[in-house]
Amino acid sequence: MLKFSLSRRVVIGAAAAAFIAISGTNVSAAGKSEMHVAFGDVPGADMLNFLAAVYRAEKRGVKVKVSYLQSEDIASQAVVSGQADIGVGTPYALIQKVKAPIRMFYQLSALRFFPIVNVTKYKTWKDLDGAPMYVHSRGSGTEAIMNLMAKKNGIKYASVSYLPGSAVRAGAMLQGRIGATIVDSERRRLLLRKDPNKFKMLPMPTINASDEALYANTNFLKKESAAINILLEELLQVWREVNKNQNVILGMRKKYNLLPDMHKKDVKEILPYYKETASTGAFSNNGGGAAAVKGDFEFYGFAGTIKGDPKSHKIADYWYLGPLNKALKKLGTM
Amino acid sequence: MSSPSASVATPIASPSFRISQITIWRVLSLILLFGAWEIAGRVPISIAFPTFFETMSSLGTMIIDGRMAKAYAKTLEPLVIGIGLSTAFGIIFGVLMGLSRKFQWIGEPIFIVMQAAPMAALIPLVTFLYGIGVAAKVVAVVILAAPIIVLNCFRAVRNASPSLIQMCQSFQGSQIQVIRKVIIPDAAPMMFSGLRLGVAAGFIGVILAELLITPNGVGDLITYHRSVAEYADMYAAIFSIVFFAAVTVGLLEKAEVTIFRPEKKGAA
Repeated sequence: MLKFSLSRRVVIGAAAAAFIAISGTNVSAAGKSEMHVAFGDVPGADMLNFLAAVYRAEKRGVKVKVSYLQSEDIASQAVVSGQADIGVGTPYALIQKVKAPIRMFYQLSALRFFPIVNVTKYKTWKDLDGAPMYVHSRGSGTEAIMNLMAKKNGIKYASVSYLPGSAVRAGAMLQGRIGATIVDSERRRLLLRKDPNKFKMLPMPTINASDEALYANTNFLKKESAAINILLEELLQVWREVNKNQNVILGMRKKYNLLPDMHKKDVKEILPYYKETASTGAFSNNGGGAAAVKGDFEFYGFAGTIKGDPKSHKIADYWYLGPLNKALKKLGTM
Repeated sequence: MSSPSASVATPIASPSFRISQITIWRVLSLILLFGAWEIAGRVPISIAFPTFFETMSSLGTMIIDGRMAKAYAKTLEPLVIGIGLSTAFGIIFGVLMGLSRKFQWIGEPIFIVMQAAPMAALIPLVTFLYGIGVAAKVVAVVILAAPIIVLNCFRAVRNASPSLIQMCQSFQGSQIQVIRKVIIPDAAPMMFSGLRLGVAAGFIGVILAELLITPNGVGDLITYHRSVAEYADMYAAIFSIVFFAAVTVGLLEKAEVTIFRPEKKGAA
């Protein structure tokens, strides 16, 4: 009886050990039970490529929870305080000024904004000399772009006012409350579609700086390197597929059931958004990497977000490129 | 059973002794609060949480370099206009509602809904109707301040002492005299309380508008310094507006006690 009982315990023990071993394999491959990503924005078409990569990573055992917060600053605070594992944004100031133990590790998109004017008031950059300008917020990328363009064109705005959100600024343009601003690609198309005779985009050179990057606590990046690696491989794959053929994003949305509640009107905007954004080179095939970081140092240095000589900054102080390099080694660079 | 000697032995504090005791307790309360803040900043509870002394140092710098004055000039403009409009129209409308049932039936539901409505949810409507400038911020202040002022005035007038009104009428007082000499003076303390609460709500309205519509003034200091991770400056801006609002409302309360409730002077 005792022998039977012992053998039963041995069997149960072995089964438990096997279960733990299997679970352990899963954990080591997929990191902790759930990876929490915090966006500082509402869900929209621009997140479909990220969500597609997340879906594929989940199929490989990486569980991801995505939260949508009110702003990038709140998302960064959630990451710093440990309430989220991965944030989306460019937290250079947070890293430099308060020595936050976080590092960026993947460039989701490069900065692509478009200066737009009401042609009944302004037609060229020179016309904006002495005109009021409206940008996202003080110290934002949109303000830096408009200041850069003012410098290049030898003009000075009468004032720079802050109107957070491209949608808000586009609304103000449509209502005729403002005559010149800078908006994202979605709102640029909205304005040009609503009244192509009234609104015009002003010419602007390509700016090489990150708009959105993934970042996480350095401890998390090291501890969950296996899960991060899977996520990065899937991100690179999806980004490359979208760059090659933007139509795939519609197929991914349907196949993976991503953002199923999107309004029909917004669904129509998915393809134009990806076609335009991909054509401007905003989606890097190689996750940004060192080249993108150098562009960030220049641009965010000009914007005043990062203090000091751009050449004196070290990549390792802001980015952790180990996981990206590992993924690129496997998939190859393009 | 209390003995006469026990009642004699009870010390009666002089008003000046009582006030100095209140002051000591209030100062102790502040020391406790700021001390806890300093400790929380030194621990730190978050890398984005500066110490009390760092925050005060930033506040000093921002006052000296003029950033605070510039910000307050912008914040006070819609606040003063909004409170002015809310006071003028609020008192008139509140008194009319108190005097006339018809005005009450028309106005009361509107102001009760306004008082209950979450301001942040109305911001898109406000910007759609009033744009993104000072007008939208004034409206935000009015939406929060006016219902409190109106409803307080209405209740103050409606609850004016019936015996005083009857006395005035029995002395052949006209309707205008009843209002001017009895109802308004009797309702004045409660109306002033409404004004004080309206000013406090106005501060909430103007900062909400600066955070959610166009960031300028104190709202800009908060959002900008948060976005560039200058947390000591951000907390200094928050501290300054809380302090400013508390002092303003405190002075109004003092004025209220001095003018309308002298019997309560020194009892607070």
